[in-house]
Amino acid sequence: MTQPQADLLHGTLDVLVLKTLTWGPRHGYAIARWLEGTSGEALRIEEGSLYPALYRMERKGWITADWGLSELGRKAKFYRLTPAGRARLRQEIAAWRRLAGVVGHILEAAG
Amino acid sequence: MARLLFWKPKVEDEVSDELAFHLEMRVRELVERGMPPEAARAEALRRFGNLAGVADACRSEGTRRDRTMRRTEWLGELRQDLAYGCRTLLRNPGFSVLALVTLGIGIGATTAIFSAVNAVILQPLDVPAVGRVMLISEEWHGLRSNVSVGNYIDWTAANTARPMFSAMGTINWGNFTLTGGDQPERVLGARANTSYFRVMQVAPQIGRVFSEEEDRPGGPRVVVLSHRLWARRFASDSAVLRQTLPLNGQPYQIIGVMPPGFDFTAGTEEFWLPAAFTPEQRAQHDEHYLTVYGRLAPGATREAADAMLRPVMKGLSERYPDANGKNTILIEPMMAQFVGDARQQLWLVLGAVALVMLIACANVANLLLARGAARAREFAIRASIGAGKSRLLRQLLAESGVLALAAAVGGLGVAGLVIRTLVAAAPPGVPRLEQARLDPATLAFALLLSLLSVVVFGLAPALRAAATDLQSTLRTGQSRGGGTGRDWLRQGLVTAEVALALVLLVAATLLVRTAIHLQRLDPGFEPRGVVTARLSLPAEGYAAPESARQAFETVLTNLAAAPGVGRAALVTQVPMGPGGSDNGLVPEGKPLNGENAVGARFRLVSLGYFTTMGIPVRRGRDFTPDDRAGAPRAMVVNETLARALFPGQDPIGKRVACCEGAREDPKWKTIVGVVGDVRSQGPDQAVATEFFLPIAQAPDPAWTWVGRTMNLVVRGRGDPLALTPALREAVRRVDPGLPLYRIGTMESVLSGSLVAVRFRTALLAALAGIGLLLAMVGIYGVVAFLVTRRRSEIGVRMALGASPRDVLRLVVGQGLRPVLAGIVLGGVAAFATTRLLASWLRGVTPTDPTTFAGVALALVAVAIAASLIPARRATRVQAVEAMRAD
Repeated sequence: MTQPQADLLHGTLDVLVLKTLTWGPRHGYAIARWLEGTSGEALRIEEGSLYPALYRMERKGWITADWGLSELGRKAKFYRLTPAGRARLRQEIAAWRRLAGVVGHILEAAG
Repeated sequence: MARLLFWKPKVEDEVSDELAFHLEMRVRELVERGMPPEAARAEALRRFGNLAGVADACRSEGTRRDRTMRRTEWLGELRQDLAYGCRTLLRNPGFSVLALVTLGIGIGATTAIFSAVNAVILQPLDVPAVGRVMLISEEWHGLRSNVSVGNYIDWTAANTARPMFSAMGTINWGNFTLTGGDQPERVLGARANTSYFRVMQVAPQIGRVFSEEEDRPGGPRVVVLSHRLWARRFASDSAVLRQTLPLNGQPYQIIGVMPPGFDFTAGTEEFWLPAAFTPEQRAQHDEHYLTVYGRLAPGATREAADAMLRPVMKGLSERYPDANGKNTILIEPMMAQFVGDARQQLWLVLGAVALVMLIACANVANLLLARGAARAREFAIRASIGAGKSRLLRQLLAESGVLALAAAVGGLGVAGLVIRTLVAAAPPGVPRLEQARLDPATLAFALLLSLLSVVVFGLAPALRAAATDLQSTLRTGQSRGGGTGRDWLRQGLVTAEVALALVLLVAATLLVRTAIHLQRLDPGFEPRGVVTARLSLPAEGYAAPESARQAFETVLTNLAAAPGVGRAALVTQVPMGPGGSDNGLVPEGKPLNGENAVGARFRLVSLGYFTTMGIPVRRGRDFTPDDRAGAPRAMVVNETLARALFPGQDPIGKRVACCEGAREDPKWKTIVGVVGDVRSQGPDQAVATEFFLPIAQAPDPAWTWVGRTMNLVVRGRGDPLALTPALREAVRRVDPGLPLYRIGTMESVLSGSLVAVRFRTALLAALAGIGLLLAMVGIYGVVAFLVTRRRSEIGVRMALGASPRDVLRLVVGQGLRPVLAGIVLGGVAAFATTRLLASWLRGVTPTDPTTFAGVALALVAVAIAASLIPARRATRVQAVEAMRAD
């Protein structure tokens, strides 16, 4: 058995971020923590690379941000999903399922 | 979680704050887990990765994000503004329809006429550097005259004049019989020399033009086709060069086809043959029938060419005094000849259209002013709830844009319609009018006009509305806005509209009166019941004068015997018809030279011509069978020629030299009769000097002058056109190969001669009608506004006992003030400008007082009618209600 792939497939980070935000607005650090917690060691990324992705998605109109106060009373930037982002997430999930189905099929047939 | 509303940092700060927050949170977490602060900081940075790189990436993404957002926002607002503009226009359908119709008509008419002007005047002929091509004519008593072959040859040979022109070519036209189709037909062809094509610098589309070697007497029979003839006769077959064209019974080898742009006018020649001047022709200075074009050499000017050629012509006049008299030369640009009268006509129509457009603009300005005033309150409210001034302006601009665009679209529809009507209704011979179409330049013109008018007239009131002091507008509740200054502006606009409409109406009325005058004018003959057709004999078989005369007389005999024919006769040219020639006449007793010659239109007639046409014999007698060959030569003249030849004397029995003979034997002709004047050039033209000779005594060269072509004129009982088969049969029995053409009634010929007059009259009348309608709308609008503004005042007056009649008088009187000012102003303007029409007017002077007074009265009546509707509304104002409303 090989080591799990440490790099994220292109576009995967976006989907995960969008997914995170389905539960409500979060700031960048919270998103990073959630990614860490859910995926554990399997998806290790440099935390910094999260931010350019956030700005890019903001530009594309999938997420939008407001400045608010964090749990500790500190000024923080909170992201939330836009309707366009929600639609995007649905698309991505459907595509993932299709891909997984096809790959699974091939592997089973080959095994 | 509290939001910090309305707080939006710059991207720079946003990124550093956000990243700092992340690191801070991580350090705090690590410290909580027991890590020393220093190590925790290092660990947080390590986990974060390339901090500077991430910050950079975020900043550039953030900048792009902000730009995108600004654009989306702007587009969204624009869409909002446009939607709002559409909604406002839809909410005020009265205003929108009026503005759109007014602008649409103005733009449509202006664009259509601009297209026509563009096609006829602005688009140069399809000749390279056409401005360098000059028409070179002889000048005879101030008149442009054609050039004799001898003179042309000597001009081109003159060493002084030659360097002025890079080429000097010649062309002349004639009718040819073209066979090989279903029916033999007569077509206009030209004889040109090789230099003609060098002057024009137009290369054939297929094949070549003829060479110097082919352009000689007895040279090969070759022909160059026009694009039109090629398309019509050979279906644009590219293998045409292997075929021949049967002209006057001879096959001509086709050697080339010219491009379409070489057909300068709708009625030009259809092919070109080599001129092939014979040595006799080259030495002949007397017969002036060539048209000569020269292309100025590089560096040469028209003036220099004139200065060089003039002495050459002077020498020729001295060498050949009989042939050239005191002829001088005239050099003018070729374009002037092709555009000619049509240019003046189109500029005048364009002027009239510009007036209509101005009226339309004044109308829209008035509408927009009224609306701007009505909306002052709306703007004040919008501004007070935070709409910036720039946002308000942008919204107004968007509204104006919607209006202008819609008007332009509508206007283009109108323009297309007008152009089609114009091309269909225009008299023949307006060069290149058929090429008028909505081209991109015209489209741009329409858009520009419409934008300009709406922005100028929409934005100015908008700016004023926006600049109005909000506080005072809201406080005084002056919802109908506008002080006396604005009233003044609006009344001024109505004054201008009325003045412009008056100028248009006076011009149109003058033209209508001219048309009526011409319609009623006695043409000098009785056109009813007469049918005419032209018949040409080819040179082959009819070259001898005797055989031509016999053929025509046999046709006439056949005709006279045909059933249904009352009277029949022959003439070389019917009134207002083509053909004919001019001759100089010298009365007996004066030296026989060009100085004493009186120019007159020459006609050969058969017996009975005057009775058939209903032309009265005023003195003396008609021709009789005794005026035969060998008998004393007889001549009939019209009254105008009689006066010109023998002023104050009885012309009967006087002798005249003309047309033939030499100094020793001038072959005197005796005037036997004087006939009534006929308006042969058309009812709108002056009567020409005319003389008639009997066929039996026709001078031998006369048959060549008239191209062996005569008109049959037949007066029948009943429908004249029913005689057409009889005409054809009479000709067929003489020679089945002879073409009979231009068959029609004299009534249609007469009314056809007035087509140009009727066209310009109808055009100007239509424009004046539109102008009047628009002015009416303008007057109505201002009076209606006045009534609305003075509602409370009217209410008070009525409460104090004013009768509806008093109110009516007050309102109508107010409405009439700017109208009367406009009538005075317009009268002055019309008085100054109708002189431009003078050359088109007959039977009425440009400053005809009846016309001016009539138009002014009509305008007053229209103004009263337009103000009555709102005025009646004013009389129904209820005093209490009116006062409560304010």
